[in-house]
Amino acid sequence: MSSIRVDMTISLDGYVAGPDDGPDAPLGAGGFRLFNWLDKRNDSGPSGEVFAESLATRALISGRRTYELAGRWGGDHHNGVPIFVLTRKMPDETPPGTVRYVTDVAECAELARAAVGDGAAMVHGAGAAQALLRAGELDELELHVVPVLLGGGRRLFDHLAAEHVELDLVRQVRTREVDDPGQHVLHLRYRIRPS
Amino acid sequence: MTEMAGKVRLYMSMSVDGFITGPDDGPDQGLGVNGERLHAWLRAGGVDPVSHRPTGGGVNAEVFDEMMATGAVVTGRRTFDHAGGWAGDHHDGVPVFVLTRSVPDEPPPGHVRYVTDARSGVALAREAAGGRDVMTHGAAAAMACLAVGQLDELELHVLPVLLGQGRRLFDGLPPGQVELELLRSREGPGVLHLRYRVLGGSRS
Repeated sequence: MSSIRVDMTISLDGYVAGPDDGPDAPLGAGGFRLFNWLDKRNDSGPSGEVFAESLATRALISGRRTYELAGRWGGDHHNGVPIFVLTRKMPDETPPGTVRYVTDVAECAELARAAVGDGAAMVHGAGAAQALLRAGELDELELHVVPVLLGGGRRLFDHLAAEHVELDLVRQVRTREVDDPGQHVLHLRYRIRPS
Repeated sequence: MTEMAGKVRLYMSMSVDGFITGPDDGPDQGLGVNGERLHAWLRAGGVDPVSHRPTGGGVNAEVFDEMMATGAVVTGRRTFDHAGGWAGDHHDGVPVFVLTRSVPDEPPPGHVRYVTDARSGVALAREAAGGRDVMTHGAAAAMACLAVGQLDELELHVLPVLLGQGRRLFDGLPPGQVELELLRSREGPGVLHLRYRVLGGSRS
């Protein structure tokens, strides 16, 4: 069965970017702090294993904003997997590489599920995550929780309805053996219960 | 502070999306609409009706016991009022210091004392706890203690649920990063207990 999985790095206070993010500062003020753990992404340790799982996803769903801020990943996020970009307004130009623009959330989820078969699709960006969550199309959350309070910025969980979404913690991975405290992170995977 | 001094530690139940109450919290519903979900872990395996201690032992009971072993409480006025002031006794008659902008005219109930300044409130609590840990409770009190560098640790009971709306724990912090260190992570029935040490400063 296919799985649509949010894969995002957040601070303990829930931010995916620091304050004042924009084209000149995609991660906002101080937001680079969130990605120090990725220094370990090619190691054999726990963060390396978790990162390898991310790269094993067979499709990417991204919001338009994240996609543009990331320079469209040059049309290839990883391994040439299909990239579905959720956008309100269809751009005029032809998308690069494996990118396809989609304006409807349910259609986007359907396309991604068809692309991954019994594998997983990775979701990037708070906007896309929230849209899929509201549409009931999310299956899992892989949260890389960085031990820092950013104090402000862009939240992963925002603009949601006051309806409980029940989760099950299916895995937690710590990085105790990493020497540099700046590279520590807690990888939490939650499965979203169907409503 | 000597080596033997207790820690000032925030204890809060929080959803994965960072809420410590549902919407519309108030004196009539301290946890907001459907916010009782946040305390489900205290009842997951049964609960003692008198002590409110989770029965059946295990991680949740141990964390509860640690809370109840604290020697003083620091809380904010809102949390205090919404909880009915715990009838003047949060647990075991330990001193309760309530941070408030304006001290009420009527005398505080039971073991409660009103304080208008976070720094002196924490100093009083540390002294009163006599070497035991100090429990901080409520978002405003926690953020006030953090802002003056007087919060040592956070113990977050993270519930596997998204509430969507409500009152957030982390809100209104002054600009600037606060570095933390994960000290322990314990999984109990229906909850993940995360303990962080506050390191302060900025690393980026």
